[in-house]
Amino acid sequence: MSRRFVSSVGTALVAAVVSFPALAGQARKAPAKTATWTVSHTPWGDPDLQGVWNDATSTPLSRPGGLSEKQLLTDEEAAEFQRELAYNLTRDRRDGGAQADVNRAYNEHWMDARRLTITKDHRTSLIVDPPDGRIPPLVPLSPERQQARSARADAAARFAAGLPDNHEDLSLPVRCIIRTDSPPYLPTIYNNDFQIFQSPGYVAIAPEMIHSARIIPVDGRPHIGSTLRQWLGDSRGHWDGNTLVVETSNFRTDQGVIFQDADPATFRITERFTRVDAQTIHYEFTVEDPHTWTRPWTAMIPWTRIDPAEQMYEYACHEDNYDIVHLLHGARIREKNGETVPKRIPER
Amino acid sequence: MRTRLSFVAGGIGALLALAATPVVAHHAFNAEFDANRPVKFRGTVTKMEWVNPHAWIHIAVKKPDGTMEDWMIEAGTPNTLFRRGLTKQSLQPGMEVIVDGYQSKDGALRANGRDLTLPNGQTLFLGSSGTGAPYETPPKKKG
Amino acid sequence: MRSRIRSVLIPVGSAAAVALLWLVVTATAGQAPTAARFPSYRAPRLAGHSDLNGVWQALVTANWNIQDHDAQPGVHPELMGAYGAGPAGQSVVEGGEIPYQPWALAKKKENFEKRMMVDVTDDKKWHDLGDPELKCYMPGVPRATYMPFPFQIVQGSGDYILIAYEFTTTTRVIRMNWKGEAPADSWMGWSRGRWDGDTLVVDVTDLREQTWFDRAGDFHSDALHVVERYTPISPYHLMYEATIEDPKVFTRPWKISFPLYRRMEDHIQLLEFKCVPFTEELLYGRLRRQPGQASQ
Repeated sequence: MSRRFVSSVGTALVAAVVSFPALAGQARKAPAKTATWTVSHTPWGDPDLQGVWNDATSTPLSRPGGLSEKQLLTDEEAAEFQRELAYNLTRDRRDGGAQADVNRAYNEHWMDARRLTITKDHRTSLIVDPPDGRIPPLVPLSPERQQARSARADAAARFAAGLPDNHEDLSLPVRCIIRTDSPPYLPTIYNNDFQIFQSPGYVAIAPEMIHSARIIPVDGRPHIGSTLRQWLGDSRGHWDGNTLVVETSNFRTDQGVIFQDADPATFRITERFTRVDAQTIHYEFTVEDPHTWTRPWTAMIPWTRIDPAEQMYEYACHEDNYDIVHLLHGARIREKNGETVPKRIPER
Repeated sequence: MRTRLSFVAGGIGALLALAATPVVAHHAFNAEFDANRPVKFRGTVTKMEWVNPHAWIHIAVKKPDGTMEDWMIEAGTPNTLFRRGLTKQSLQPGMEVIVDGYQSKDGALRANGRDLTLPNGQTLFLGSSGTGAPYETPPKKKG
Repeated sequence: MRSRIRSVLIPVGSAAAVALLWLVVTATAGQAPTAARFPSYRAPRLAGHSDLNGVWQALVTANWNIQDHDAQPGVHPELMGAYGAGPAGQSVVEGGEIPYQPWALAKKKENFEKRMMVDVTDDKKWHDLGDPELKCYMPGVPRATYMPFPFQIVQGSGDYILIAYEFTTTTRVIRMNWKGEAPADSWMGWSRGRWDGDTLVVDVTDLREQTWFDRAGDFHSDALHVVERYTPISPYHLMYEATIEDPKVFTRPWKISFPLYRRMEDHIQLLEFKCVPFTEELLYGRLRRQPGQASQ
């Protein structure tokens, strides 16, 4: 896919069409207003982010190979990019053999239709910094982290072979502990919905999966004590002009819980929410961890307003999670039938 | 390319390196359902569970020898359907459905609902085929 | 928030001191504290309505049993000793007793006897056994209100109010003046709110039938309909009332009520009580691979 773009596009630069504020790693200042739109405020004076929002998109987090300099696409390129991504992602395809078919699981009715469209600004990646649109190189892991990561990869291999030893071999989402609600928020295949509530001194963000809410004080109070640890961390916000800036710390130190399995002792995440028009919030996050990445990196994902026509619904998960029993009970039966886990080739 | 469509728990770094839209580490469908045991049958809905993380359709299937079997069909999240305007009224006991899927590897009368249609051929929960959706046309082959 | 309370305290003065004395008064059996016990109070306004924002918590022991209950040793006292014991408490049900239909008392007794039993190996019997609280399932309405954990009301200027409960990080959205129906049942129900003067009235329907009212096995059917009322009665109290209606299980509607107390600690916030991991061994432990079984 990447080679097609390089050969067909040539060297035309797209700088001329750049009016997008968040490119190239500059300090971001939220636009207070465009020529035609001014953010409204709540009765107590905070910028109004209230509503139900959707962040689905097919734009990849990391820029596809061969496009390292190309941040934006022309209209024609964007249409083709979108068509190709949609073709690759659609669950309605029945080609590729039975294994591929099983893995597609369902058909498009069960998926978020918005996830087949790229962002309106025609970016080639959600990552906006570094300029190549890619996650920075990884820092070598300490022996302890390498060991822990290897153990988790073994568990994942058992799960993928249908032979988990116990519920701890299953991931946190499969166990219905956390799903898309642990920051940063990334688009997924369905239920890409968030509801924002505000009250004096607070902004509450409720992701659909799994029915939790981050109630974020914006009154300048300190974080909870450093020995208190939570899966969703502890968030504190403040307003920078019309941008809500959220810092989250106090993540649990269980291995594999934190974003991209970074080091909880040194991981930092800052999120910025800016309402840029009546229908759009720009959600931007910056993550850094000197023990995991060689430099900080930033992505921006636009959120689209969907209420009142569409609503966020309860996502109970653990309550009817028959899958766990199927997976574990099924594993015991498969073992009896002599199935074994294929040997895993360790990652370098 | 196939790995972009497969959901492997724990391999988040590998997924992102493929420049795919990140997904929630999810079900390993290949682990649970058997590509060598496709099923396609017609059955009568006995119960519909509009639950997460997966909706479940209970159907009574008449086998060729005339006996009845109770199957559980795994579907996706109902919340997507609710946002398309469907409700629990949309699929009631007594309705007939055609299930195209793959049976559970452990031999249970359970399958994932790869495709669900009504007897008149209409894809269950509204048809999308033939609407010219972008994914219906493969991308242009390069010269 | 603190400055708003101060500005209310100053004019209320000695009446506030009197109100504080009532904090230690508990309801007599079946009798809700009446409005007359509290000096008349009007909460500050937010976007035209009484401001219910805050972190709140019930102090009644209704989660053990919403009717009168003696102290009890709890389960596995040979392991838990006083840790597991339950306190005595007086009924929060107006009139004292739940008006069950005769058949339902046997079902309640069965629930109680099986409250600690779990078996999820058969999909069709998944919910047949055990108190949903034991399994860390969302508690439903009204039980979520009197779980021994705080909850937070986030009320703004939109069409929705959020109530977030610390227990299993449950949330529910109250849709204000909403016409649309629930698409299907849910554990925390479909909540439609409106204002009745200074009272927030929430009409809750389409609740999953599997929730219980308490650990004593008090239950309902899929016909449950709850109408809640949240009324500010002082800067530090809401009066909570819930009318319960279920013609399949009870002979008539009935009502519970008790005060909710504002959590006053500096920088109070909900912390995380994600209890799913506390239940996994109980639910899935019997499905572990045993030593000696082949795997890799």
